Amino acid sequence: MSNHWFWWALTMACVIWYSTITVYVAIKGAADIKNMLARLGAETKRDAEES
Amino acid sequence: MTNFNWLLDGSIVGLYLLVTMVAGLMVRKYVGKVEHFLVAGREMDVYLGIASLAATEFGIVTCMYTAQNGYEKGFAGATPGILMALAMAGVGLTGFVIKPLRDSGVMTIPELLEKQFGPRIRWAAGVVIVLGGLLNMGVFLRTGGQFLVLVAGLDVRYLEIMMTALLVGVAVYTILGGMLSVLVTDFLQFVVMSIGLILVTVLILMNVGWEKLVTTVETNYGAGGFNPFVNPTMGWQYVLFNLMLNTAAVLTWQTIIARVLAAKDTNTGRKVYTRTSFFFVCRFLIPGIWGIAALATLGPVANTLEAMPHYLSTAVPAGLMGVLIAAMLAADMSTDSSYMLTWCSVIYNDILAPFRKRPWSERKGLFVNRTIIALIGVFLLLYGLWYPLKGDLWTYLGVTGTIYLASISVLLIACCYWRRANSWGAGASIIVSAVIPVTYLVMEQVPSTAGLAKSIGPYYSGIATYLLSGAAMIIGSTIKPQSRAEGRPAHV
Repeated sequence: MSNHWFWWALTMACVIWYSTITVYVAIKGAADIKNMLARLGAETKRDAEES
Repeated sequence: MTNFNWLLDGSIVGLYLLVTMVAGLMVRKYVGKVEHFLVAGREMDVYLGIASLAATEFGIVTCMYTAQNGYEKGFAGATPGILMALAMAGVGLTGFVIKPLRDSGVMTIPELLEKQFGPRIRWAAGVVIVLGGLLNMGVFLRTGGQFLVLVAGLDVRYLEIMMTALLVGVAVYTILGGMLSVLVTDFLQFVVMSIGLILVTVLILMNVGWEKLVTTVETNYGAGGFNPFVNPTMGWQYVLFNLMLNTAAVLTWQTIIARVLAAKDTNTGRKVYTRTSFFFVCRFLIPGIWGIAALATLGPVANTLEAMPHYLSTAVPAGLMGVLIAAMLAADMSTDSSYMLTWCSVIYNDILAPFRKRPWSERKGLFVNRTIIALIGVFLLLYGLWYPLKGDLWTYLGVTGTIYLASISVLLIACCYWRRANSWGAGASIIVSAVIPVTYLVMEQVPSTAGLAKSIGPYYSGIATYLLSGAAMIIGSTIKPQSRAEGRPAHV
């Protein structure tokens, strides 16, 4: 470990960062999808009313 | 012999496929315009963008080659991932190229190029992007199928049928829902893929152990297994070539850029880049560790590409095997759907542009886009799955990628930042970046020049392509007399 601290630290950073970002993105991404579809739904409704 | 259990692991994979298909099909009702279909109405926010970009840029083919890099080069094999992460973070932080690109409001890169270089260059750039991209993607299906067959212990006779069914499933939701279906399924696929990648990596670190991984690399590759500059198969030229290649990919690879163009504003696009950048280290290092573990466990094997799936087939227990296969299916499906949609967007928006003298109705536009995706699917089946590719796969991927990346990155940078750049320079740049890699490939195949090609090597050839493509842009633009219409920055 002491001889190749760079690769050890990078591997640990990958596992920890990736685990954290997966949980975070899973929660925040679901909210993004909900908001995106709400905006597009409103736009589609507006377009239908105008035409 | 494999640990794949049809009841347990098969159920996990089946459930994943069902949920993905349902989610992909459910959002099709929101697609009313071509803009919804190609760029999701530009409504994508940061975290959905991160999930989509990460899922798109990690396919089974990526996992196979990065694991092979780990097997053949040790930890130093992760160098391209580190370089790509640095390039992506740099571009995200500065907004270099992606800011003017997103600010311009275009749907594809060639659409922006037309503003500076004219419609002919837009069309030519579209052709280069689609050819490079489709030929590159042509090998994804078979490589993905090889992995799944080896890990699950399936009969190789079912490879074509299995991958055809998978592609048809992906094509159905991409055709109906376009970018909206791609984003929603990418999100699910990111979560499944990430869970699988993390669990398998933790299992390997616990079972094989860090000390054994390091000792294996030291024994087989010495200092070169940790430092690319002293590795006899890499060196400074490998690092420089990969820096150029990855920077060009970050700036111009249409599937990456599509996330910037679908972002709700420029700052969102930049944040997606900055916050996804470290993923590209994981993208190389995690499968690289799987490859090193295969070397530590299996020892030398004849086919280094297949070492990692062979190792996983016995190292991963039942239950986790289902998660691994679902993760890899997720990786492959997200890549296939995004790539099909991306090349479709360039064909529709740029290559077919001369045929749209009058604007098409949204209904006709959507029909044409859906037809193009279906045709791309047919091409992938015929070329990528049922037609056996001859020759070295990595060289093939590198050449098709460089033809596209070298010219389009030079054109895009010049378009955004050099007022004097014009169509002569753009045309010369496209020609040079196609001629050098193709000449190198031909030299490799002709016996009388094969020795010279070997002494030059793919890295020097690649570096020369980028440098000479840039020089061609400068020379061509300088010698063409300037007209009044030229000299405006393209994005203003």
